[in-house]
Amino acid sequence: MVQPAQTDAVERLKCNWCQGINLKTALSCQFCGAPLDLKDVVSESGWREAPRLKDMTEFHFFNSTCQVEGEIVPVAEINLAQGDGIYFEHHVMLWKDPTVPMSVLQLPGGMKRVLAGMPFIISVAQGPGRVAFSRDATGELVVLPLHPGMELDVREHAFLLASANITYSFERIKGLRNILFGGQGMYMDRFVTTNQSGLLILHGYGNVFERTLKPGESILVEPGAFLYKDSTVQMNVQMQQLTTGLFGGSAMSLAQMVGPGRVGIQSMYVHHATE
Amino acid sequence: MSATPSAPVGSRSYTCNWCGAVSDGTSLSCPSCGATINVKEIVTPTGWIEMPGRKDMAKLQIGKSSCQIEGLYVPAADFNLAAEDGVYFAHHVLLWKENSVNISMMSMKGAWKRAFAGMPIFMTQAKGPGHIAFSRDLPGELLALPLQAGQAVDVREHFLLVATDQVDYGWSNTNIWFNTKNGDETETHYPLGMFLDRFSASKMPGLLLLHASGNVFVRQLARGQSILIKPTALIFKDTSVSMQLHFEHPHSGWNLWMSYIQRYLWLRVTGPGRIAIQSAFEPVEDNGQTITSHSPATRQQW
Repeated sequence: MVQPAQTDAVERLKCNWCQGINLKTALSCQFCGAPLDLKDVVSESGWREAPRLKDMTEFHFFNSTCQVEGEIVPVAEINLAQGDGIYFEHHVMLWKDPTVPMSVLQLPGGMKRVLAGMPFIISVAQGPGRVAFSRDATGELVVLPLHPGMELDVREHAFLLASANITYSFERIKGLRNILFGGQGMYMDRFVTTNQSGLLILHGYGNVFERTLKPGESILVEPGAFLYKDSTVQMNVQMQQLTTGLFGGSAMSLAQMVGPGRVGIQSMYVHHATE
Repeated sequence: MSATPSAPVGSRSYTCNWCGAVSDGTSLSCPSCGATINVKEIVTPTGWIEMPGRKDMAKLQIGKSSCQIEGLYVPAADFNLAAEDGVYFAHHVLLWKENSVNISMMSMKGAWKRAFAGMPIFMTQAKGPGHIAFSRDLPGELLALPLQAGQAVDVREHFLLVATDQVDYGWSNTNIWFNTKNGDETETHYPLGMFLDRFSASKMPGLLLLHASGNVFVRQLARGQSILIKPTALIFKDTSVSMQLHFEHPHSGWNLWMSYIQRYLWLRVTGPGRIAIQSAFEPVEDNGQTITSHSPATRQQW
């Protein structure tokens, strides 16, 4: 992704969400679509709402564009330029131009992925042409332009699409306890950029909130609400014992996220039963 | 739709149209329920009041504690609990919490009956100080119901998001049921569920937060006034509102038997008092078989 040189700071606007530099006249960030004319919405406890993308907002990656359509179950319509590509799980594809060529991403560890219930096949679309994506529930698109050298862990099945230059792998969740009680499954998707920027779009159910944890700072999150985190954030399961004299009680598992780094959560989540 | 302007009291004070709390009118939202102040109330010609808009990040004050409502599609209630203040909730609505917030079990009376009826037999309680947040897994609206001392409401099961410690929690039979017979088998149906939750503030005011699916509409019924609603659309009612079943059979010109097979199941609610409904509701289960007995009901054959 090419960002305009910051030659005149007065005439440029920095996006608070993705740190992209925009012309001062821009109403939305050209790299992530976040409104530039609205203040950040931050709760007193420090959770920041993901930017609410205005209907029909358009932003750019490489020579391609993405337009966000709708607000309740938003659609990401990608206009791929010649030579640009994206990858995704095939079931999120809403429509496409017949001329857009499709292929499959070669993934290592296919058997492990099948056993873990993760998508075995990741589809790839190459420009030129248009492809549109949406998921199956009310929620928000979370647009995450990744700068060079970033690593982001994402809940499995939560990513909508990624630009072809982002390396896709999966990270095994460490510890049997985390796998059994963490509510994340066995693996998380990991998206890595090396020396180039890239674009990653997630779909979060309900509303999406992000918090940046300081080194050593921790927060307990319902496992089903976890959406993404910087790879620097450690995730552990913490059992909360809930007991009564008569019935013996139960236990609730919560995901303890320990900084430094960003943590993203979704307000509508799959509930994972207690023991 | 008609619009009724909210009524300011005095030079600066403001009376909330939704909860009736009087505030100094300096903030953008009512500190008791979070409703946006100085906006026109939206009322349909039939008398349904749309739940007042709530600005994102609206803040409610409950004694020394506060609650911030975050998000619009699936809103989360983020409590900042003061030391010794507490809330209770069904454990599956917990979204996140700080380490400093202690959670424990709150046992319930009549656990076996509740378990049999599919209601939660345990409530989880949290004690401050610290932040703890709640949300449900459906798009919809949060209803904030500040309860004054001596006030109570009946709430359909599974609608509670969270209540403050000052609110007492009880339950009662709905007494809304019917039996159908298929051969030798008799099946009992509870269109409203077996039990209704009753939340009351006995000595101190408290706050009750409910989560409804879709949009929420409230109507004030006059004494003796009744209306038919889908049983699964009911969210809450004042305790003064009575309920019974209503069977409605559409006209069928050629076969009386067929017309009885086709039936609509309604809940008749009769005032005085408030009722609240949600716009997204589950279909009422009815297998269409012969009804052999039922709770008190009215019937209409067209």
